[in-house]
Amino acid sequence: MYIVITGAGKLGLVLAKKLKEGKHQVCLVEKSENLCNKLAGEVREIFLIHGDATYPDILKEAKIDKADVLVSVTSTDEDNIIICNLAKELFGVKRTVARVNDPKRLPLYKYMGVDNPVDSTSIIARIVEEEASFTDVMNLLSIKKGRLSIVRVDIPRDSPIVNKSLKEIRLPPNSVLVSILRGPDIIIPSGSTQIYPDDEVIAATLIDMEKDLIKALIGKI
Amino acid sequence: MKHIIIVGCGKIGKGLALELSSKENVTIIDKSLKVLDSLGDDFNGKKIWGDVLDMDVLEEAGVEKADTTFLLTGNDNLNLVVGKATKRKYGTKKVILQVNDVAKKKAFQEEGLTIVNRTYLIVEVLKKCI
Repeated sequence: MYIVITGAGKLGLVLAKKLKEGKHQVCLVEKSENLCNKLAGEVREIFLIHGDATYPDILKEAKIDKADVLVSVTSTDEDNIIICNLAKELFGVKRTVARVNDPKRLPLYKYMGVDNPVDSTSIIARIVEEEASFTDVMNLLSIKKGRLSIVRVDIPRDSPIVNKSLKEIRLPPNSVLVSILRGPDIIIPSGSTQIYPDDEVIAATLIDMEKDLIKALIGKI
Repeated sequence: MKHIIIVGCGKIGKGLALELSSKENVTIIDKSLKVLDSLGDDFNGKKIWGDVLDMDVLEEAGVEKADTTFLLTGNDNLNLVVGKATKRKYGTKKVILQVNDVAKKKAFQEEGLTIVNRTYLIVEVLKKCI
């Protein structure tokens, strides 16, 4: 794929390098001349353009009309919105992704037709909240912007599900136990599998059910 | 009385707000409380301290029933984004925005928005002075 990234801050740069490793063609557009000069020596394999991508001419220079995806990750929300809007409406780019700097501006991103506005602040806040509130629960993976999460839960001795088999345990909707880690063993459970104290349970759940799931597994939050 | 929204309380926004607020129903929005305070007692309208990229703020200003919205911040891109959004989402009859960069004015001209460029205006006035 050919991907144009606007904004060569930390996020833009890391992203460009990753996508390049994934064998995509990448063009990085950056407004600051100083930063471009610094990067020119550092990232030889990435096509770098110095210019303000809110101008159609600069996007044209980045061959935006050939791009499969445009990713706008500048630190200015109005610039991200304008860049995505130009890419879509003027140059017909099918997919636009942007970083939302201030979560309050998310509705405007959506309204202006940005296909995938990524609200990093809210995603990080959710992760930090989880880390801070549950000591024996660990978030292993979040998918679809954190809507689906895979968690690891250490089953305490006083848990309501201890010594019960899976078919006796009532889980909240949209949740499933994927695996049980018991000492060195990895168990893919069936209905008759029993839960023992100190088991580590791997579960998948939709984010709004996560608290209910944890309550069902350890008895409290 | 017409319902008028002015975004940006810089020199032009302030001047326009003071001029219009005696006759029309004016709401002015700015991100700085200090400049809103500087309007003083002569301003007879509503002041909103907030971020116009937050659609709740625009709605608080009554953007749905506005007859005219002026976007007069010093930030061209912000004026363009908010101008486009108000025109499309709320169907405001007249959306007038200040864009200082001539190149940008050209790129966005076909959007059904009235784009005002200060340099162009002053040049036109000066030409008439000859």
